[in-house]
Amino acid sequence: MSEGAMAVVKPEMKSYIWLQTADGSIQQVEEEVAMFCPMICREVVQTGMGSSKNYAIVLPQRVNPPILGLILDYCRFHQIPGRSNKERKTFDEKFIRMDTKKLCELTSAADSLQLKPLVDLTSRALARIIEGKTPEEIRETFHLPDDLTEEEKLEPLRNITDDPRIRLLNRLYARKRKELKEREKLKTVEAEEERVDERSADDLLSYINSGDGKGVRANKSKKKNRRRKDPSKDALSNKVNGDHDEVEAVSTACSHGEAKDLEVASPHKASKLRDSFIGTFSPKLEFDDGDMDDDLDPAMREELDREVEDFARRLNSDWPERMQELLCLGPPESKLLPVHINGLDRR
Amino acid sequence: MDDLISDLPQSILESILTRLPIRDAVKTSILSRKWRYKWASITELVFDGECVSSLHEGSTIEGSLVKFITRVLFLHQGPIHKFQVSTCYLHSCPDIDQWILFLSRSSDVRELILKLGEAEWVRIPSCLFSCKKLTHLELSSCELDPPPRFKGFLCLRSLSLYRVLVAADAIENLIWNCPLLENLALSYFDDSLAITIRAPNLKHLYLEGDFADIFLENTPLLCNLSVVMYMADDMAEQFELEQSSNCNFVKFLSHAPRLESLAGRAYFAKYLSIGDDPGPLSITFDHLKIIELCEVSFEDMKEVLVLLRLITSSPNLEELRISAGANTSPAGAPDSLDIWERECPADWTFKQLKVVKMTDVDGIPHEMELLKFLLGSSLVLKTMTISPSTYFKHNRMDMLIELLRFRRASSEAEIIFLQE
Repeated sequence: MSEGAMAVVKPEMKSYIWLQTADGSIQQVEEEVAMFCPMICREVVQTGMGSSKNYAIVLPQRVNPPILGLILDYCRFHQIPGRSNKERKTFDEKFIRMDTKKLCELTSAADSLQLKPLVDLTSRALARIIEGKTPEEIRETFHLPDDLTEEEKLEPLRNITDDPRIRLLNRLYARKRKELKEREKLKTVEAEEERVDERSADDLLSYINSGDGKGVRANKSKKKNRRRKDPSKDALSNKVNGDHDEVEAVSTACSHGEAKDLEVASPHKASKLRDSFIGTFSPKLEFDDGDMDDDLDPAMREELDREVEDFARRLNSDWPERMQELLCLGPPESKLLPVHINGLDRR
Repeated sequence: MDDLISDLPQSILESILTRLPIRDAVKTSILSRKWRYKWASITELVFDGECVSSLHEGSTIEGSLVKFITRVLFLHQGPIHKFQVSTCYLHSCPDIDQWILFLSRSSDVRELILKLGEAEWVRIPSCLFSCKKLTHLELSSCELDPPPRFKGFLCLRSLSLYRVLVAADAIENLIWNCPLLENLALSYFDDSLAITIRAPNLKHLYLEGDFADIFLENTPLLCNLSVVMYMADDMAEQFELEQSSNCNFVKFLSHAPRLESLAGRAYFAKYLSIGDDPGPLSITFDHLKIIELCEVSFEDMKEVLVLLRLITSSPNLEELRISAGANTSPAGAPDSLDIWERECPADWTFKQLKVVKMTDVDGIPHEMELLKFLLGSSLVLKTMTISPSTYFKHNRMDMLIELLRFRRASSEAEIIFLQE
């Protein structure tokens, strides 16, 4: 073909590339615009696809028609080499103004097409949206589920701000959770209490102490039942009376706030103390699942009780009046130790 | 309503989290279950004074910051490519050693930036030198002591040392042993440093401070050079006596033939002028487009000569900025104006010079000769901007009259006289 003929033919023959989106619809796009996307470019070069309607390039799942339209707008502007940096920046600033949902979809689609400049642009925009917002605001913007438990929410932050009590609490929570899981495997009866994600601090601690299926509580009361059978009632009430001094001792020790000392001082006494209180103010609860804990050895139960007491005491070492309340009050209907951890009251 | 963002690919989420200040990134851990540890695998950790906003009772910003950084490092999982701490609140503390040890152990760190408070010097532990993959190192207010068998950072491209205590030969060896080094910035070493730079790949060099001597021995690819050189006056005299034969100008610039921009401030012109005049230079700076020289003393004939030689060795110069220095102690006869006729090559023309800017002009003879020379030889000059100095106001009219007479080689040249 002579050069003159070529020159005449060229302007009329604009090349198009055929693209198929996830919903099956096919459209044609100017070649230079489509080739701006590395993924499309690669498909054309390597497989030769896209030259006609029947051989349309199938785009990744995440690219739907409206998003594809946006991407092609971006490509159409930027593929022109003569544009100045200022022009490009102005275009980008305007282009990025869209609602968050679309922005996320666009990010995802641009990533699947390997269009790095657009991914950078959208990432920057998303970062700007997130920056400075409170967690609630961010959750609302991105429709994130608020599915962390109270202590999980605290865990990473608290670790960072260095609170040894919360660290200990976390460790014990983890251990408790593990043990409770084991116990639940052995459970035959008793559906779980409905696990509500929005737990208050009180709920959390009762979860630790009493378990979801009243496991620990039943455990304790079981112990009580057994104990009641063996020693005489007098012995029990003596214990209660005798332990009053220990109550004072423990509570005063607590008010000094020396968690370490307490740990050494009287772990056994304290747990026995609580047990005896539980025994005294006999709960009006049914313990039909009292048998289920037979498989657990008493040593572990003892240990669990001790640990619970330990951390509860530690947490409360700054709140002597709470501690007093705790030791003197009987257990309410559903909770044994209504301890408020400072700061956990806020969600 | 569906979650919009949590299921995006990890690379995108990381890209977003990296663009957040570290405090916001860490706070994403309480958004939802999926987000709990997304922040923990970002590869760039940048800490500054903003990380800790609220102070706890009995703690300082420094203490909180140290705790924050340590905790983040501890909770972090995966490679760390960039670690930056830039805050004036932090001074030398043992935790810094541990952070660097931690980073050097995983030996993936590529960029390390420590810009700390200037009150104390942090002694950098030797484990820094086992970070094999370092490409970018920036230290300030530190004490550096490379171990004797240190083989260099083989991947290092950029090195910046500000107020760093290090021996001259240690620094020279460090530079020499980093074969890929392209950017080098050395500022404010404690003593007057005499330094020789051998860096075959060096492209950008920035020097600031009190240097006793600078020798670019092996910098063939250097394209940007910026020097702010301070020198005590007595040092200058000492130089004159010691190195009367060696010409600093030649020594300094002859090994940088590919220079594209040159900026010299404070005593730089003076430094170059020390030594005997070498005569017309044998090298030409064909790529040199921008020259900026500050504090050139136009009463010192030697400095004027340096300037003259420099610009007549740069045929492709496009932009020239000169500021005249305070003319306090003229050395040599100030009226030897014939050097302009003698030393300028005959029929010299600037074929690319478009912008000339001259500030603090007093109107003294050498200044006027320079302007005359430039106007008469710049074929495509567009603007010549002249700002008079705040002294010698009575000379202005004379200066302007003289300026008007000068022949202009470029018909498009505009002379802009800025009054303050």
